[in-house]
Amino acid sequence: MTYTSFLVSEFLLIWRRKQDVINVLLFFIIAVTLFPIGVSSSPEFLASAAGGIIWCAAVLAILMAVEGMFKEDFRDGSLEQWVVSGLSLPALILLKVVAQWLAFLLPLLGIMPLLSEMLFLPESSFWVLIMTFLLGTPSLFLIGVIGAALTVSLRQGAMLVMLLILPFYLPVIIFSTLAIQAAEANLPYSGQLALLSAMSLLSLVISPFMTAIAIKASAS
Amino acid sequence: MQSSVSLTISGLWIERGERDLCKDFSFSAQSGEVVRILGENGAGKSSLLKVIVGVISPLEGKIVYSGEDVTLDRNPLQQDAIYIGHSVGVKNLLTVAENIRCYCPDVSPETLDTVLKQLDLLDHIDALVRTLSAGQLRRVALARLWLTEKTLWLLDEPFASLDVGAIALLEERIQLHVSSGGLVVLTTHQDLRSLSCRDVALLS
Amino acid sequence: MNWTWFHKLGSPKWFFHRSKAWALPLFAVGCVGLIVGLIWGLVFAPADYQQGNSFRIIYMHVPVAMLAQSCYFALGVAGFVFLVWRMKIAPIFIKAMAPIGAVMALIALVSGAIWGKPTWGTWWVWDARLTSVLVLFFLYMGIIVLQKALDDQVLANKAVAVISVVGLINLPIIKYSVVLLETLHQGPTFTLTKKPEMPSEMWLPLLVCAICMYFLMAGLVLWRMQSEILKREYRSSWVREEVMKRGL
Repeated sequence: MTYTSFLVSEFLLIWRRKQDVINVLLFFIIAVTLFPIGVSSSPEFLASAAGGIIWCAAVLAILMAVEGMFKEDFRDGSLEQWVVSGLSLPALILLKVVAQWLAFLLPLLGIMPLLSEMLFLPESSFWVLIMTFLLGTPSLFLIGVIGAALTVSLRQGAMLVMLLILPFYLPVIIFSTLAIQAAEANLPYSGQLALLSAMSLLSLVISPFMTAIAIKASAS
Repeated sequence: MQSSVSLTISGLWIERGERDLCKDFSFSAQSGEVVRILGENGAGKSSLLKVIVGVISPLEGKIVYSGEDVTLDRNPLQQDAIYIGHSVGVKNLLTVAENIRCYCPDVSPETLDTVLKQLDLLDHIDALVRTLSAGQLRRVALARLWLTEKTLWLLDEPFASLDVGAIALLEERIQLHVSSGGLVVLTTHQDLRSLSCRDVALLS
Repeated sequence: MNWTWFHKLGSPKWFFHRSKAWALPLFAVGCVGLIVGLIWGLVFAPADYQQGNSFRIIYMHVPVAMLAQSCYFALGVAGFVFLVWRMKIAPIFIKAMAPIGAVMALIALVSGAIWGKPTWGTWWVWDARLTSVLVLFFLYMGIIVLQKALDDQVLANKAVAVISVVGLINLPIIKYSVVLLETLHQGPTFTLTKKPEMPSEMWLPLLVCAICMYFLMAGLVLWRMQSEILKREYRSSWVREEVMKRGL
């Protein structure tokens, strides 16, 4: 196995399992539509809450996507093969996360114009929303895989991952919604974006190693 | 392929869950040998292979590969080893060729065709592994033995779910490998027909 | 420097015998001290000129809230110790400590709510410190649930250590991020560098309560650890001897 061949087969697998991406996307859209129906559909409320609504729905959708990431690999023995491949396990994990991130984020960004229109998000803050997604979601994926790796040996791990990981997502949601709110109020928002990037970089440093420990413990 | 390799294990103590699988277990082997680990069900044969290749950490003991102490960092051994466990690491949603290319990316199409023909998989080369039988799935995993140049083979029940023809083929391949300087450690419950091996008993 | 004590700490047997004599005295000192501190605070300390007698819940609230945070810090450190040195005692410590921390966080939340009603006129506000204690409670629950869900001891040990370390790294970030939300809460009562703003008749009993709370908890944790050690090491001969000699 080499890093390239690993990445190629990961992309092939994502392509064969594209239904998963579509499911997560649908879940995301449905979760967003709950808010106008359940809370208030007045444009004033939605415009001010749009950033928060989209982010909350996205966090749940991403956790859904990440939660089962290693299940299949655990079942068919691939995890063992990663461990013994002689390649660096954190690097393999990072490659897999990058592949998954691209696979889920691009469609997510693709429907963002539609959703922001539906929620009356002011046009000026649309690009800030996109920026927060680009800078913030790597951290969500990287933290999420730690939970996925810890619970990989459990048959029903989804709920546990939610419990375990959602508290860690709080800062990302806070920084993102603050950035969007700042943009709406015509205030500078670069500070919040910098914080988001810092979160992602920190997760990038820690998560592959922590996930590798969890994967190794689960594979044995 | 390296000219000569050796594997020495001393004072190995493996614990799984609440049980001690083996305590103070030692053996050594070198190039040209087929070592068969014997033991009852649950004696820890699979765990022993996993410890050697570095999936599990032993409580105590020392593992030396070709003169290098790999107890703490199994990487030098892993670089030179193929491990095929109970779950073989073959992806259901990839085709036979894609699966093999994941593990052996540099293999040429001609070689791949020849080996797959031997293994009776050529007709299924572009079929998703999901559609194959258990025996065919194992053969996809075993194709690695023909296509990669690694010295140390650690095979956990390699003959499981194979038919007579495939067993003979695999034994032949193992024979060829050890005669050209390879080292094979395997566990099996089947009697080996043509293959001569050294037995190491794992007593609990 | 001699490091043998540090490595010995990894042996549950050594720890068990060493800590055996400590649990009860720590617990007793903590209990007595806490009762003294509470009576002092509740009866003898002067009433607050703004909040009247309702402020007296501080003698419960602050020690508990301090503990809830220090417990998590200790968990993170133990997790780190386990991942680096594979010290067997660390996951036992985490398992013993996590429920105590969760209860502390819960008491802090409830006592805070009770205090909030007369002072702020509401049981709950989405204030920075309240939210961070709530998150802390969730983090504790995560550890406990994960520990319970994983049957395999080796995996469970690793898993709780990983999540504790990740939690320790993230906790300051979470706390900082919620500070960006508005804050209603008064500043911390004790800091290391400044004298408290309260009169000493008020903060002295609080200090006694806080310190004794730590003792109480240390005793509790030791007890829980000892019973966990007995449970995990039941196969070994020294546990059998121990049980035969002294009974359960």
